[in-house]
Amino acid sequence: MDTAKEGGGVKHDYLNTIVFILVLSLVFGGILAGTNAWLRPRIDANEQIAEKRSVLEAFGIDSTGDAQTIVARFDSQIRPDTQQDLPIYSWFGADGGTKGYAIPFSGAGLWGTIRGYLAVSADLKTVLGLTFVEQNETPGLGGRIDEPPFKEQFRNISIDLNQGFAYGDDLDAITGATSTSRAVLQILNDLLRQTLADWEVV
Amino acid sequence: MAESWKQLVKRNLWTENQVVRQILGICSSLAVTNLMANSLVMGLGLTFVTALSSLTLSLLRNLIPRRIRMIVQTLVIAAYVILVDLIIKAALPDISKALGPYVALIITNCIIMGRAEAYAQKNPPVASMLDGFFAGIGYTLVLLLIALIREALGFGTIFGYNVNLLGLDTWTIMVMPPSAFFLIGILIWLVSNVQEKKKNPAGKPGPAKR
Repeated sequence: MDTAKEGGGVKHDYLNTIVFILVLSLVFGGILAGTNAWLRPRIDANEQIAEKRSVLEAFGIDSTGDAQTIVARFDSQIRPDTQQDLPIYSWFGADGGTKGYAIPFSGAGLWGTIRGYLAVSADLKTVLGLTFVEQNETPGLGGRIDEPPFKEQFRNISIDLNQGFAYGDDLDAITGATSTSRAVLQILNDLLRQTLADWEVV
Repeated sequence: MAESWKQLVKRNLWTENQVVRQILGICSSLAVTNLMANSLVMGLGLTFVTALSSLTLSLLRNLIPRRIRMIVQTLVIAAYVILVDLIIKAALPDISKALGPYVALIITNCIIMGRAEAYAQKNPPVASMLDGFFAGIGYTLVLLLIALIREALGFGTIFGYNVNLLGLDTWTIMVMPPSAFFLIGILIWLVSNVQEKKKNPAGKPGPAKR
């Protein structure tokens, strides 16, 4: 209770200190563990919805609406699939035919991992769209890859497996975010080379 | 502590403002102030954590062994930051995505520990909570002011709404952290000058004793 005690009664003091910090750690650790256990289902559900929203957006399907709308729309048209051990999503049209695939990608950005989906048409000749699920780029600069002006550039452009994507006529990089812009193309081109080149077209 | 409500508010918002007078919390002031929305959420997150950690540390102030008080402060602050992060993720997933790593970085903000060290460890709980709260509000106001200038000039928008009606060129420099250095520097200079003049209206600024 008395801070002036410091100095005298060394053994007693140490014991007090140790007991205090142990109890405090247990109390706060307990509160956090409890809160985490309580909120975790909701956080996981939120993340799943965000993932589904992202896949829908990549295909160019309406991705607005509340959680239930998203799940219903997703489940009616999209099924998980695998291609070369990669978990991908296939998009089925009303007639049951495949309309396209959403392929997950991830790679190093400027500050952290960039993760998202590249949607391609069933014949692998056209990009249907591009979305990001996770990115930690500078807000306002690199972070703008996740804004429509950048992402929408990838809607319905043709894929050249030999050339890959390049900034120039069709695609614009982001001003002030050269590293992030380059990183995104690097990740996408790796995906083209490593995954799309060996794709077994069914 | 014979400090009235009014004095406490004025001290935290003006005479001892955390950013422009104490020069604390500068890292985050440089990083998040290119958008008003990010600044607002960062400011509110910090205000919430500072108020609660000051309250908790003040309640425990007579129990905490002095030798380990900083470890205890860090522990309490970290716990609240994680709590805020979890709650935002569960309740506001979109904002959580926009803020990315910033929420976790609240813990590194010197203002929180500054209030714990300078105030909460020797003042009663309610006063400490108010002190933490208004210190956070003072920080938030400075952030919003800097963000207002940076977002308006850098993007031509305010809170995402277009205000660049004349279609003027936007300044990329305003989007990047260096512009915040200049703006915060100018603000510190202005505020010091105004406060100095008030204290010493007739004479030139500067210490009285020679």
